[in-house]
Amino acid sequence: MENKIIDHLFRHHSGKMVSVLTRIFGLDNLDIIEDAVQDTFIKASISWRQQLPDNPQAWLTQAAKNRVLDIFRKLKAEKKHLPNFKQGIDEITINDLFLDNEIEDAQLRMIFTACHPKLNSRDRISFALKTVSGFSTKEIATALLTKEDSIKKRLTRARKAIQESKLQFNIPQGKALPERLESVMEVLYLIFNEGFHSNKKEELIRKELCAEAMRLCKMLLKNEHTRSAACYALFALMCFHSARLDSKTNADNEILDLKTQDRKLWCSSLIELGNTIMYKAVEEDSYSCYHYEAAIAAEHLKASSFEKTNWKKILNWYECLNEIQPMPSHLLTMAVVCLQVKDYNNAIIYLNQISPKDFEQRAYLYYGTLSDYYSATNNFQKAINNIDLALEIVNNTLEKEYLEKKKLDLLLN
Amino acid sequence: MKEFMMIFTGADYADLGLSPEDLQNRMGKWFAWGNKMENAGILRGGNALNPNMRRIVGENRTVTDLTSTEVKEIVGGYYLVEAKDFDAVEKIAQDFPDYDLGGTVEIREVMVFDK
Repeated sequence: MENKIIDHLFRHHSGKMVSVLTRIFGLDNLDIIEDAVQDTFIKASISWRQQLPDNPQAWLTQAAKNRVLDIFRKLKAEKKHLPNFKQGIDEITINDLFLDNEIEDAQLRMIFTACHPKLNSRDRISFALKTVSGFSTKEIATALLTKEDSIKKRLTRARKAIQESKLQFNIPQGKALPERLESVMEVLYLIFNEGFHSNKKEELIRKELCAEAMRLCKMLLKNEHTRSAACYALFALMCFHSARLDSKTNADNEILDLKTQDRKLWCSSLIELGNTIMYKAVEEDSYSCYHYEAAIAAEHLKASSFEKTNWKKILNWYECLNEIQPMPSHLLTMAVVCLQVKDYNNAIIYLNQISPKDFEQRAYLYYGTLSDYYSATNNFQKAINNIDLALEIVNNTLEKEYLEKKKLDLLLN
Repeated sequence: MKEFMMIFTGADYADLGLSPEDLQNRMGKWFAWGNKMENAGILRGGNALNPNMRRIVGENRTVTDLTSTEVKEIVGGYYLVEAKDFDAVEKIAQDFPDYDLGGTVEIREVMVFDK
C-alpha cells in the first residue's frame, strides 16, 4: 500500500478539489464546497479499506467531478445564486477544469485569494493552510501552537473579509501582480518560519509546514506569470534552512545553535538544490530581502565548522538586508556577529541603536545579547543583571533552560 | 475452528471533523489490518455500512428514518473471521484502528446448528 498511495495524497488533493470547485461555483459557496470535498474523503477512506482503486488520484478527481452535480443540486434547493453554466462554463469546460494545468491555475487563484491584503495578515496563514493545503483546524492549531477556537475565529474572519470585499477568484495581472505576489511570498515565508522554529514535541506537523510552504512556492515558480527573482530566492532560502532541520535539536530535545549542530547532518541535496535555484534568482540585478537572507543562510552552510564561518561576509549581507528592510532584529543579529569576531566596539554601536521595546515579548533576545557583550568585555555583574532581565520574560522552556545554563556559566566565572 | 463476528460501533468519521491527512492514515491502517487477516487466511467476509438507517419497530411496524447523529452507538461495519476462541479474536481486534475515536469492537461467536 505504501508504494501505491502517495504520502499526503488526501491532503494535497483536498486543496486541489476545493480550488477547482471554487473556480466553478465561486467563493460565495466555499462552505458547501468544503463540506462536499470532506465527504469525498470520508467515502474514500471507508471504501478503500478493503480494496484500493487502480488509480487513486483519478478516483478522487472523478469523485470531485461527481460532486459538481451534487453541489449544483444543493444550491438549487437552497435557491442560492447559481453560476451561469450557459455563459462559459458547460459540461465540457468543467471536464477541462480538472486537467492538471487548470487545477494548478485554480490553486494559484486560491493562494492569491488567501494572501489578499484585504485579509488580516494573521488570518491569511490559517486560511491558506485550510483551503490551499487541506489542513484541518486542529492541525493548523497544533502547527501554529494556537487554540483551535482562535483558528476557527480566524477562518470565519477571513471568509467574512472575502465576502465583504467581494474578492474575485483570479490571479492578479499587470501592475497589481508584483504587490500581490509580495503578499503571497510573505505568507509562504511566515508559514515556513512557523515550521522551522520547532522542537521535537510537535516536530512532525511543523516539518510538514516547511514542506507545505516549499510546495506552494514551487507552484509559483512553475507558472510563468508568477515566477520572479524574489520567488526563486525565497525558495532557495527555504532549501538552505530545511537542510539544517534535522540538526536543530538533539536527542534530548534541546535546541542546538549553529555552534553545536552536527554539520554532518545537514542535507547536502537540499543545499545543492538551493545553490542551483540561487543562480536563477540572481539573473536579475535587483535583489529582494529573500536574496540576502538566502545569501546569509548559504554562507553558514559553506563553513565546514562554526569557527570557520565567514562572519565578515555575513555582516556585509546583513548590512544590505537592513538597508532595504530596516529592522531591529537585523541590528541585533549584526551585534551578535560582531561579538562573534570580537569586534566589541561595533557590537555596542549596533546595540545602542535598539532597545528592548523593539522586541516586545521577545526582548529576552536583546537582554541575552547585551549580557554576552558585557561578559565578553569582562563586566560580569552587568552580564548577570541582563541575563536576569532576560529570564524574567522568557516563556519558552527550552530557551529558558538555555539562558539558565548561560547564567550558571557566568556565576562560575 | 469457529467463526466470529467483530462488530464495530461508534467512531462515525462524518461527525468527527477529521482532516484529509487523518482519513488517509486511518484508511491505511484499516487496509493493513484487512491485509494481515487475509494473509493469515482467517478473513471470511466483512462490510462497511452507510450511516443512514430505516428502523422498523413494534407491532405497528412503526417506521423511522434515522441518521448517525440520532443514534448513539451506530454500527459502522463488521468483519467475519475464523479463529479458535474469543482470546484469539481479541488478539486480532487489537489492530482495530479507531479506538482513539471512541470506537468499540464487539466480538460475537456465530452460532452453529446441528445438521
